[in-house]
Amino acid sequence: MPQVKIIAKNFMDMVAALPALKLDKLYDNTFICEAVLRSLPPLAKKYVLQLLYIDEPVTAKSMEDWVLTDGVSKHRVAIDRLIQLRVFLEITDRKKETSYRLNPKFQGNLQHYIAHGGVLPRESMSSSITVRLPTAEELDSYALEQWESFLLQLISSSQPEKTTSFSSSMMKIFQQGLLSLRDKEAPKLTESGFQFLLMDTNAQLWYIIREYIINSEVRGVDSADLISFLLELSFHVTGQAYNASTLNEIQRSAINDLAELGLIKLQQGRKDNWFIPTKLATNLSVSLSDSSSRKQGFVVVETNFRLYAYSTSKLHCEILRLFARVEYQLPNLIVGAITKESLYTAFENGITSEQIISFLQQNAHPRVCDRAAPSVPENVTDQIRLWESDLNRVEVTPANFYDEFPSKDVFEGACDYARDNGGLLWEDSKRMRLVVKAEIHTLMRDYLHRQK
Amino acid sequence: MAGGHGEKHHRPSKKHKSSSSSAKITESVDDESAYYGEEFDDDNNRDGDREGKKMDFTKLELKPDHLNRPLWACADGRIFLETFSSLYKQAYDFLIAIAEPVCRPESMHEYNLTPHSLYAAVSVGLETETIISVLNKLSKTKLPKEMIDFIYASTSNYGKVKLVLKKNRYFVESPFPEVLKTLLRDEVISRARLSSEGSVGTDSFTISKAIGEVEGTHDELLNGIELAAAEEKETHAFEVDPAQVENVKQRCLPNALNYPMLEEYDFRNDTVNADLNMELKPQAQPRPYQEKSLSKMFGNGRARSGIIVLPCGAGKSLVGVSAACRIRKSCLCLATNAVSVDQWAFQFSLWSTIREDQICRFTSDSKERFRGNAGVVVTTYNMVAFGGKRSEESEKIIEEIRNREWGLLLMDEVHVVPAHMFRKVISITKSHCKLGLTATLVREDDRITDLNFLIGPKLYEANWLDLVKGGFIANVQCAEVWCPMTKEFFAEYLRKENSKKKQALYVMNPNKFRACEFLIRFHEQQRGDKIIVFADNLFALTEYAMKLRKPMIYGATSHQERTRILHAFKNSPDVNTVFLSKVGDNSIDIPEANVIIQISSHAGSRRQEAQRLGRILRAKGKHQDRMAGGKEEYNAFFYSLVSTDTQEMYYSTKRQQFLIDQGYSFKIITSLPPADSGSDLSYHTRDDQLQLLGKVLNAGDDMVGLEQLDEDTDDIALIKARRTMRSMSHMSGADGMAYMEFSKGKYPGQGHLKSIKPKDPTKRHSLFKKRFG
Repeated sequence: MPQVKIIAKNFMDMVAALPALKLDKLYDNTFICEAVLRSLPPLAKKYVLQLLYIDEPVTAKSMEDWVLTDGVSKHRVAIDRLIQLRVFLEITDRKKETSYRLNPKFQGNLQHYIAHGGVLPRESMSSSITVRLPTAEELDSYALEQWESFLLQLISSSQPEKTTSFSSSMMKIFQQGLLSLRDKEAPKLTESGFQFLLMDTNAQLWYIIREYIINSEVRGVDSADLISFLLELSFHVTGQAYNASTLNEIQRSAINDLAELGLIKLQQGRKDNWFIPTKLATNLSVSLSDSSSRKQGFVVVETNFRLYAYSTSKLHCEILRLFARVEYQLPNLIVGAITKESLYTAFENGITSEQIISFLQQNAHPRVCDRAAPSVPENVTDQIRLWESDLNRVEVTPANFYDEFPSKDVFEGACDYARDNGGLLWEDSKRMRLVVKAEIHTLMRDYLHRQK
Repeated sequence: MAGGHGEKHHRPSKKHKSSSSSAKITESVDDESAYYGEEFDDDNNRDGDREGKKMDFTKLELKPDHLNRPLWACADGRIFLETFSSLYKQAYDFLIAIAEPVCRPESMHEYNLTPHSLYAAVSVGLETETIISVLNKLSKTKLPKEMIDFIYASTSNYGKVKLVLKKNRYFVESPFPEVLKTLLRDEVISRARLSSEGSVGTDSFTISKAIGEVEGTHDELLNGIELAAAEEKETHAFEVDPAQVENVKQRCLPNALNYPMLEEYDFRNDTVNADLNMELKPQAQPRPYQEKSLSKMFGNGRARSGIIVLPCGAGKSLVGVSAACRIRKSCLCLATNAVSVDQWAFQFSLWSTIREDQICRFTSDSKERFRGNAGVVVTTYNMVAFGGKRSEESEKIIEEIRNREWGLLLMDEVHVVPAHMFRKVISITKSHCKLGLTATLVREDDRITDLNFLIGPKLYEANWLDLVKGGFIANVQCAEVWCPMTKEFFAEYLRKENSKKKQALYVMNPNKFRACEFLIRFHEQQRGDKIIVFADNLFALTEYAMKLRKPMIYGATSHQERTRILHAFKNSPDVNTVFLSKVGDNSIDIPEANVIIQISSHAGSRRQEAQRLGRILRAKGKHQDRMAGGKEEYNAFFYSLVSTDTQEMYYSTKRQQFLIDQGYSFKIITSLPPADSGSDLSYHTRDDQLQLLGKVLNAGDDMVGLEQLDEDTDDIALIKARRTMRSMSHMSGADGMAYMEFSKGKYPGQGHLKSIKPKDPTKRHSLFKKRFG
């Protein structure tokens, strides 16, 4: 089963990874240019602006002269990034000297942008037509709800409440690496699946979007088109309605999927269909590393191993159920207990004690965070670790058992032989029985044959 | 291939204890406890029958201002309370009155609404409507309909009828005349009725005005909710024949007419019984929680019967003495053994102004009789309930106890006394008011139900953690020390032939011994603490104490010897550790000790664990240091030493349950002594360990398994055993019989074992010496 390493990488890393041809095609779009500019490290931004109206290549050497010695590393990072994104084109002349110039398309677009100002990718619909738009709160909660129900479905395909527009094959792709899907077995969350659930929404969203883009070719969609649309989307205004008829074929099909994820809310107007981007969509291109909007904690763990989660989310309930026994579900509280049994189930599924503990600590309710004592009682964390280490006490070694030795000499000889080969696990000289590691079984057999 | 551990031990989860004897006990128990068959609720059943199914109450409607309200109530009776709510204190007082606490750790409490708890609520004067409306005010959600129905169903009959002893006439009282009519339709009751004007059969009742509740505590709750009963209420009453009172009570019990009667004592208007001139001394300042428990008892100016639950060391005796001082009538105080009789007598003279000659002790050793027409008698349950032949002197005293009308029957440690003994004591003594005191309302045998109707409902239960925070009891650091079995001991432990020696093997585990020795050294030398080591296994107790050269007290230790050892422990700087068998679980008062090391214990008894912890709960040091954030965070230590991979692990988890529910947490220590030390401790070499193993294996099964005999750890049984062994002539000859009868009930053949033992203590001791020396 392929293990997917989950790294919450930047959207731009994905853009940078595109082949040169596609990347250049992307820069036809002014918004992409702007989005890329925004995503650059500060020094790189400065270089772009500095070279914006210079049409000649600038030598790498002269650029190096611009920086002080302690800024060299930053300079390197900036240059690397610019080359990666093909904002800078590297030119090596006959004297093997390197010089850089701005990607002409990128340059042209930005010059135009500076001279004429930015234009929105499409006009939002006038408020006279869109009479009842959802409020910001409504939209936020809608987005969250969509996202959670998607996640719920993702981790527990067994209980379909609402069917998504995603084809089951698409769902399978998302689940790959998160769930272990074996035939005739209920899907189980894998270690990285659990890790996935513990990540914040932005990181999770990015993981799904990345999978979505990577696998777009399978659906006959150019990934560059998709990326450009997603970037374009981030220039739309949250909460404004846009006319869906301005979208092309690819975009229209994408928009249904995005609605499923909560990036977009679809609304039926009198004449046309509208789409309303949510916060999830407009934040998509924002660097994911700074998750300033850290979710507030909601879990209280008591010294008696009981667990109280202030949450209305079914998803939270499902997450807790991975390692705790959920006993009561109240409108805004989930009550459970961490038991040895529930933890053993979690350990069996590859979830580690550290993951559980860090989940409990990271999501600790402000009430218990603020006090002097640890947010999760020490005796609980200790016990969780001990239970895990308890499981590791017994080591399983494949082995073979020998008995009915014809004589004491043969038995002792066999013991010595096994010991010399580093495979003797146990011996009982009284009853002449021994256990030997399976890996030297053939050696052992040959040896015993020779004794006959 | 396993790496050496053949047996996979099954340690249950912290929260999950096996509980087979839980919810549905209807058939298996005798009549008295079957009142509430179906709904019988003990904290035991919460795990067992909820296993697997989860309660989904997400449909309950949240109130818009739910953030300001402190609790959630579920249809199955479970209530969750946020302790950080601004209404916590009020909500806590209310909940403790109407519901049974399940667990009370730091942030979130859980309670169960049960028929018993509601009975208790009604009996302290809360009415059905009040319970529902306050609960509704406090709840974040709309109350589930099931809960409202449950409260109605449970309380409809409770508290409607009172049995009042007024001017030495028994009255059945009720504000609802129709209820009295229902009762009178019963043949037994109507026959027992005494008619004041001789007009038998009339429907007219005596009507009087009852004084309303004068309880302030609830009134402040939630701006002006009227929690207390109406100011003045008409009550209807009829008189019953004193001789028939027991029968009338019986008829009113839930298995008959189902109007359980509350007993109240209008002591102020009791002119028949002589007043006892006693008051609390000025220096006796009851603490807030003691006040509160008393206010529950005397809420309406009369004295209610019931049980008050306070942790050990929190000052139960002051509550008892204060109650006696309020009633100011003769008081019979029952304790579990002679030592605590002495302590109670001392408490009376310490806290109250009662004259010395008005307190008398009645034990096998001291048979005092008070002068005057009122006084306090302190005795043991055994002395009163004893059924055999008595000496002439004690016969006289018991006759006096029988004939007197007691204002207050004060019962200590009610949880340890077997129900049949209670019944006997209560039938022998005529009392107006019964007050039971205990620290732990848990019984392993589920007999707690009996107490509800024999004594009365639980009037008050303190929260351990709040008392710790308030600095009223010591802040104890609990630790479970894991001692791996040595290879040799574990191999023997697993052998079938050694099934009877299992306990001895895991208790004598050299690693445990070393951990114990290490802890004793650490606390004696580094902190200058006073240490109690508990061992239920006598073989282990003797081995440990002798090897470490420390004094020990067990069942056969004479009274003088005990006093001498305890005196030295209290006063001598050289005696800092004492070894106790389970005789030390209850009532031996050792306030100096602040460290407990438990090396062996009675299976999974939650009560024993709590009782032992109670030995060190008495707060020490300056009050302000003990408050939250004070100088000393922990000033007492409780270590439970368990041998890993043995039964002990399982028991240990079970034992801790009660304390964990009170908010205590057990820290697990896995390596004692620390890896880099310990070479100077005993049994460091394998040879020493093997020698010890040989000793354990060579000891007779009966010796190493001795403790098994005293299976029911109730102190009562022990005392009897001890007395039997001491001198037969001292007591009447039948005492031994009583013991045998007791033990036979549970463990056939045990009486036989006991009886072949020499009765003379000195002889027995030498036998010990020969065996182990």
